[in-house]
Amino acid sequence: MISTQINETALVNQAQNGDRNAYGELVRTHSQGVLNVVYRMCGNKHLAEDAAQEAFIQAWLKLSSYQPRASFRSWLYRIAVNSAIDMLRKEKRILPDAVEDYFLMDPSPGPESMLASTERAELVRKAIVTLPDASRAVLVLREYEGLSYQEIAETIDIPIGTVMSRLNYARKLLKEKLKMHLFSYAEAEHV
Amino acid sequence: MSDHILEQLGPYLDGELHGKSLQKVKLHLTECITCQEEYTSLENLSATLQEAPLPDFPSPEDFASDLALLLPRKPALPIREKALEFGWWLAPIGLIAIWMFISTTNLVSGAITFANSLGVLNDTSTWLVSGSAPETYWSAALGQFGFLSGNNLQIAEMAEAITRITIPQIVWQVSLATLYLSWMAIWWARHERQGLGQALES
Repeated sequence: MISTQINETALVNQAQNGDRNAYGELVRTHSQGVLNVVYRMCGNKHLAEDAAQEAFIQAWLKLSSYQPRASFRSWLYRIAVNSAIDMLRKEKRILPDAVEDYFLMDPSPGPESMLASTERAELVRKAIVTLPDASRAVLVLREYEGLSYQEIAETIDIPIGTVMSRLNYARKLLKEKLKMHLFSYAEAEHV
Repeated sequence: MSDHILEQLGPYLDGELHGKSLQKVKLHLTECITCQEEYTSLENLSATLQEAPLPDFPSPEDFASDLALLLPRKPALPIREKALEFGWWLAPIGLIAIWMFISTTNLVSGAITFANSLGVLNDTSTWLVSGSAPETYWSAALGQFGFLSGNNLQIAEMAEAITRITIPQIVWQVSLATLYLSWMAIWWARHERQGLGQALES
């Protein structure tokens, strides 16, 4: 873990001096995380890919301003979250994802379970995307990237207390939006 | 029954509670049905969110390759480095400007002195030459002590006067030329190194 951090610090230093290969290595390391974050923020595959590219370009341009006080990942995720929000504002409307864009959790789904799975995914996606930006960012970083409250606070530059309250608020809203679905999920779990 | 601890259930679920807070929530959950239900609903919500699939994104290799084509040539420099870079390109212009200023000053000074020696300048223009005539300390001192006299004293005074004018000029010009050539040498070395770096990258 420590050697990984040292290696990353070295790569960041090299990239700050204009080394494109070093930056390419950082991109390979963090691309999936950034894509995941922006996808959960945007709710659309193509928007997410554009937002992720934009985030990495912005990060390259702002690389000289990065201070290693916070982790590179936190710094990058902050740019990614802002990029996703900007992208959504530009698009104005939320584009529905094509069904074939999804990985299906069940390797051999029947037509009914496939439909149910797609519907559930669509419900969850819409519920997340309609959250307020600030709460959505905190929720995505916690639920999908598994960041600690401290890391989220560093990433979004807010106090830990605010992370907690935004997360509670996001979960409260989501529970209301997904009430029926959560109820059926709980029933299925008990069967 | 104690008060509900609904606000603490999220941090508890996320593993963010420690010590006494953690023990308090654990104990409370064993005895409060409302908080138990709330905690279960939070667990279900988290499981539902985790269940939502991700689309098929490009692999890290493909993503990095595509991005490499879009990246601008160099990352932006910080302000301090920008100032240094600006100063670096300003240096030769500054040296040339200093050289031109000194040369012009010397030329004008020489012209005024020459004009004065020809008697072209009238009384109102004499302030231009006041102080411009070279002083001759050493030859005057040698004359006072009787070491030099007549033509020898005049030649010595002239030699001292010429030395006093020309040596500083030569020193200035050589210094400026050295600085300028040093800048050119550093620029050439940097240019060569960048060329080598690009050749290695390609």
